[in-house]
Amino acid sequence: MTTEQFVVVGYDGSADAQSAVTWAAKAAVALGARLRVVHAVGLLEHAGLSGHGRVDGDMACQIAADAGLDRGDVEWRVVDGDPCGALLRMAEPPDSTILLVVGSRGSGAHAGTLLGSTSLELAEHSSIPVTIVPPSAGGV
Amino acid sequence: MTTLVVAGPTGITEHDGGTYHPEQPSRLFAAMDGVRALGLEDEVVYPPIAEASLAELGRVHAPAYLAELEAFCARGGGDIDPDTYARPDSWTAGRRAAGAGLAALAELERRGEGVAFVPVRPPGHHATADRAMGFCLVNNVGVAAASRTALGERVLVVDWDVHHGNGTQAIFWDDPDVLYVSTHQHPLFPGTGRPSEVGGPAAPGLTVNLPLPPGATGDVVRTAIDGMARQTIEEFAPDWVLVSCGFDAHQADPLGELELSSGDFAELARVVAEFAPRPGRLALFLEGGYNPASIASSVEATLGALLGAGERPPAPTSGGPGLSQLQADRTERLRAIDRVHMEVGP
Repeated sequence: MTTEQFVVVGYDGSADAQSAVTWAAKAAVALGARLRVVHAVGLLEHAGLSGHGRVDGDMACQIAADAGLDRGDVEWRVVDGDPCGALLRMAEPPDSTILLVVGSRGSGAHAGTLLGSTSLELAEHSSIPVTIVPPSAGGV
Repeated sequence: MTTLVVAGPTGITEHDGGTYHPEQPSRLFAAMDGVRALGLEDEVVYPPIAEASLAELGRVHAPAYLAELEAFCARGGGDIDPDTYARPDSWTAGRRAAGAGLAALAELERRGEGVAFVPVRPPGHHATADRAMGFCLVNNVGVAAASRTALGERVLVVDWDVHHGNGTQAIFWDDPDVLYVSTHQHPLFPGTGRPSEVGGPAAPGLTVNLPLPPGATGDVVRTAIDGMARQTIEEFAPDWVLVSCGFDAHQADPLGELELSSGDFAELARVVAEFAPRPGRLALFLEGGYNPASIASSVEATLGALLGAGERPPAPTSGGPGLSQLQADRTERLRAIDRVHMEVGP
């Protein structure tokens, strides 16, 4: 029996995250893997106090489909947690995740600081390959 | 009469994220309303508070992180992540909040009696060694705990905030001198705090996570701490008991879905007080809690239970879900400890 493999991409609705989903979808096609799009819900969003509006899972899945991935191979997950921790947990067994993908900057990050950098934190702690997708770099 | 040491409030005029953000200065006014409602007046001591030094912060935070945080604030601050912000004065606010905890423990030690309350902001238990998150910049309870382990003492941290204290857990993950016990709603931010997270090779079993489902009531939380964790705590034999005292497990809080009343916090306070080895070894650090009315009533109930003061609080709650899950989680936790021991070897 072949274990199903996943590419996992973080998504917060930002432009960088959209580029990351496009790149991750193309990578999934190339690797013969499924795509899991993960949105991490923080403290404010959980309480309905986020100033960034609702994160649209359908849009994320459509972006992946537009990049050439069969819609049936895209899975949308919403989990409570910080983005880095949520993605790292997706890389743990029993899931078979072969690649983590994130945009270089999320919707809440402040330019010029490393304090809230999910991508750097992820690269430091992940035990599987991580791709950090720069803005407007959705191609593979 | 037991003395109440109040190290704070700090952060009333600093680190202001605006009225939209729930972690705001009004939380401290509410906490102090709760202190005043005790009617203790002359029995309350307010020790002088100094900013924690870089050396004191550096016991739990990476120097590069502290430098980056200071520089970020000096540049004007901004959003660190969708939840967490810094302002130009947040560096000072963070250092004062951590310093308040140190002042509280110093005052307790000097007196040899009393109970300390540390009403400060920003809160701390989500801040890791090298990362700000979950409204937290500096891990206040962590800085205080590390100040005592540096002296060869053993510290119990009980964290009853509705959110798991991932920062405190990570900082002391492999420290045999700190026992971290947390009750928290799960799933919920930050997503950590599973029963299988039990500590590192040098401290197997010294992280105790007791996750609770939404709707859990006070009897479940009491069972978790008093029933499930008591043996571990008594075997650990702490020199100090520090409480990450969030009040967002209250049923009226907007950020969580647990169902505790302020009377439940009184019951929890009585339980944790039993773990202190002698008078003057118990300090409670404000973490979360975002409904001013429930903060005030819960502070009064919590401190009132420890000091025999204040009005009779609302009745404790019971009947919510989670008791059977605690039993199942106990097995998962024991197996995880076995795995750590096997990895370490004889």
